[in-house]
Amino acid sequence: MPEPTPALLTDILGQVLQESAFIFAEPDDEPAAWQGPVLTARIAFESTRGGTLRLVTTPAASAEIAANMLGIDPGQEADENGRAAVAELLNVLGGAFLTRYFGTAVPSQLGLPSTELGDPPPPARRRCCATTVRLESGAPVVMELDLEEGR
Amino acid sequence: MGLDLLVVDDSPVTRKMVRRALSLCGLEVTEVIEAADGAEALEKLGQRHVDLVLADINMPVMNGIELVERMSRDPELCTVPVVIVATPMSQDRVEFVLDKGARAYLAKPFRPEALRDVVVQILGTTGGPNA
Repeated sequence: MPEPTPALLTDILGQVLQESAFIFAEPDDEPAAWQGPVLTARIAFESTRGGTLRLVTTPAASAEIAANMLGIDPGQEADENGRAAVAELLNVLGGAFLTRYFGTAVPSQLGLPSTELGDPPPPARRRCCATTVRLESGAPVVMELDLEEGR
Repeated sequence: MGLDLLVVDDSPVTRKMVRRALSLCGLEVTEVIEAADGAEALEKLGQRHVDLVLADINMPVMNGIELVERMSRDPELCTVPVVIVATPMSQDRVEFVLDKGARAYLAKPFRPEALRDVVVQILGTTGGPNA
């Protein structure tokens, strides 16, 4: 099985943002330059190889995602739902990654997503690949894959 | 007479998204009640009747598979259909969930029309007066 590529992550992230939140995101080759705290969501998975997917974005972008997912105007409700929206987005991304990369013929299992607001995280220990896209507002969303070695 | 539905998902955003899809999809819905996990769902099902349950799998406390199993063994609840609304998963996993008693599986993200189609397929009605 070939190693996953940033292009695969870009494709999955773009598709899930479009289908879950009606957001048309643009890939960005430049790494995100974080200013201030970021929201980091993580989800572990098990398949023929285990690993973790991580989504990093700004609180403002998480509110933008929530507003689009829920069909509401930006404001307090979107702000309050930002964290849960990013967690759910990562949950769907996890399922999409497992079926796209490992296929539907092998058993795969997703954990529960967790979120944390704080400093930008250091790169994952075994980071396999990552991608950055920009929302319609220009805010970055970074998706990182940390994959165990092949068994 | 409209439909009474129970949405079971630990994500409040997903519960709101399902509510939104239900409001857009052309079903006549009288009431949507919510539960954050399988245990809360069983508690609510013990208090009132619903026409159909829309449940996630991956939840803390009690997951969707255990919810389906418990409902299948309960003479009061075994006739209430459960649709699993969950992230994409392997074919084995889908078959496993259906074997446990779920009536259908809808992969997230889904279009409102897909939700309507699966509900109508199972219940044979949109819940509207002319259904």
